[in-house]
Amino acid sequence: MKIVQRTGPLSLLYAFMDAARWRPAADGATPRRERSIRIYVLETGGCEGCFMEIESLNGSAFALEQAGFVWVSDPADADWLLLTGAVTRVCAEMIDRAWRAMPPGKSLIAVGACAVDGGPFPASYATLGGLQALTPVRRSIPGCPPSPDDILRALQELAQL
Amino acid sequence: MIGMGRIIRSGERVALSHYHLDSEQWNAMLAAPGAALPLMSCWADDGRAYVLLLEGDRPLLASTAVEERRYLALSSRFAGAEWGERVAYDLYGVEAMDARGNGAPALDEGGWTSTWPLSSRPGPAAGGLRPLAGSHLLRPEQTGLSGPLEFSFDVLKGKIRNVDVCAGGAHRGVVSRLLGRTPEEAMPLVSRMTAGGFVAHPLAFARAVAQARGLVPGPGIRDVWMALLEIERMSLHLFDMARTARGVDAELLATHCDHAREAIARACAEQGASRRLMDMVSCDGFREGLEIVPLVQAVHEVMQPRLAALEELHRVFAPRLDGFAVLDARLAERFAVGGVTGRASGRSMDMRRREAGMRLEALRATGSSRGDARAREGLRLAEIRDSLKLLERILGSIGLEDDEPAPDRTDEGIGVAEGARGDVWYWVRLKNGLIENFHVRDPGVALLPALGAMLRGYPVSRVPAALGSIGISPAGIAL
Repeated sequence: MKIVQRTGPLSLLYAFMDAARWRPAADGATPRRERSIRIYVLETGGCEGCFMEIESLNGSAFALEQAGFVWVSDPADADWLLLTGAVTRVCAEMIDRAWRAMPPGKSLIAVGACAVDGGPFPASYATLGGLQALTPVRRSIPGCPPSPDDILRALQELAQL
Repeated sequence: MIGMGRIIRSGERVALSHYHLDSEQWNAMLAAPGAALPLMSCWADDGRAYVLLLEGDRPLLASTAVEERRYLALSSRFAGAEWGERVAYDLYGVEAMDARGNGAPALDEGGWTSTWPLSSRPGPAAGGLRPLAGSHLLRPEQTGLSGPLEFSFDVLKGKIRNVDVCAGGAHRGVVSRLLGRTPEEAMPLVSRMTAGGFVAHPLAFARAVAQARGLVPGPGIRDVWMALLEIERMSLHLFDMARTARGVDAELLATHCDHAREAIARACAEQGASRRLMDMVSCDGFREGLEIVPLVQAVHEVMQPRLAALEELHRVFAPRLDGFAVLDARLAERFAVGGVTGRASGRSMDMRRREAGMRLEALRATGSSRGDARAREGLRLAEIRDSLKLLERILGSIGLEDDEPAPDRTDEGIGVAEGARGDVWYWVRLKNGLIENFHVRDPGVALLPALGAMLRGYPVSRVPAALGSIGISPAGIAL
């Protein structure tokens, strides 16, 4: 992406134009769904790398919404719960709270190596060793951390299942 | 009148900067006349209590024996020592006598499989989670941070009066996982301490290990480390700027920050490095095959042209941050708050300035020292400009020799790296090549005692925006 330095009185206008020009487009066809899949993300005690990559995915550089997903800030509004981190014992209650608040038809997705089986943080006095200690992990996105592109691609694949 | 530094040096020197004090010397240190040396960190285990201080720009470590699970509290003299004392109690059950504060758990919220899990005599599990005190809670998922940190507040008429923090949700027991490993075996885990320091944490660890082994990395390695750290600094500053901007609905600035950070990540990936530079630092250098010159050139090429727009957008939106989440200069000094947050409150500490081979002429960032979110945001931008200059200087003289002498091998070392969010410290003691003891201090720890004053008077709903502007990582704090 070529950047041209512009200063002066029109610089703000150029900044708007750049932001519009950079607006990302979803790869492939826009999904044919009645409504977007609403995702709620919880970090449960890892290095925060996966969570920050999902945060990037939800930022302006990626086409999360055009791909048919919306990040929500309340689990009561969510269809999918995305978990990152090694699942500390203290966080188990938080996961349960979020899961119970979600409406029927919900799904659970482990994002990153820690969330599946603890990754570099297996079970200990403080950690459960990933989501597998609580429930069979049927849906997961590998990586340490997976990139926003990897996560988005995996979400799209999971949406087609 | 003998100052604190001299009292510490009257103890038995056991490593380059480490002195063993008997109980009398420990008491004398705590009662030393004059100003106390800045506290970097304190911790304790079954055997000893430690305090890491800064004398000028040099670390000074003192320790004393823990007897019958007790030692004289450092918080009786150092206001910022309370967190370390609470952590030591949670992990080892060692008690700080005459400690300040309410003694509430820092990490152990009751869900662990044992109490005092790292002690030689751990206790039975406490059972279910203990609820935090305070009239209002901010649950870990409500803070807007990247990790779980739980806040409890005393609130009067809708405004915060007092704050308490518990970091148990983010605690993974990192120390227990690293003891008994070789530094090389430990490095992958150290590289995953926190995404707020994928370079800074392993770099501070590598420097501590090198000192313990009596080694000095060559100028080529030193410059690669510096370059990686500056790339990470730009990337994390952009992340924190975007989060701060979104806290005040400055979406256009956040958009430009997002794109710049992503451009850096892609440049790193295209040059064969990982997107966020994870696993690039090793104990004796850097990942095999890493080509630093094209990496630096690629990052510089994508970042330099974006600065003008970022500066213009900052100028437009900065008034929204005026006077928000102020960290008073006296508190920054008192709690030795480092990084952008400390410097924006008038504290001048930047540990890069003491590094051998540093191109000091590139570090020119100055700005407002009013301590508010605007000052922090402005300083982040200025530091990105400095990082680009520093990368240019490094490329212009990469591997420049200097005459830094190697320390004697003592099997014990202290390493520091000035990360994007502040100074990261590691202390390592080796025995037969394995890690016998170990401590990490993430810069977020210094912010904890200052949060109460920073958030006082705001409604709880403004806390996420305030936390976003100081760049705090629960994973780094809780380990």
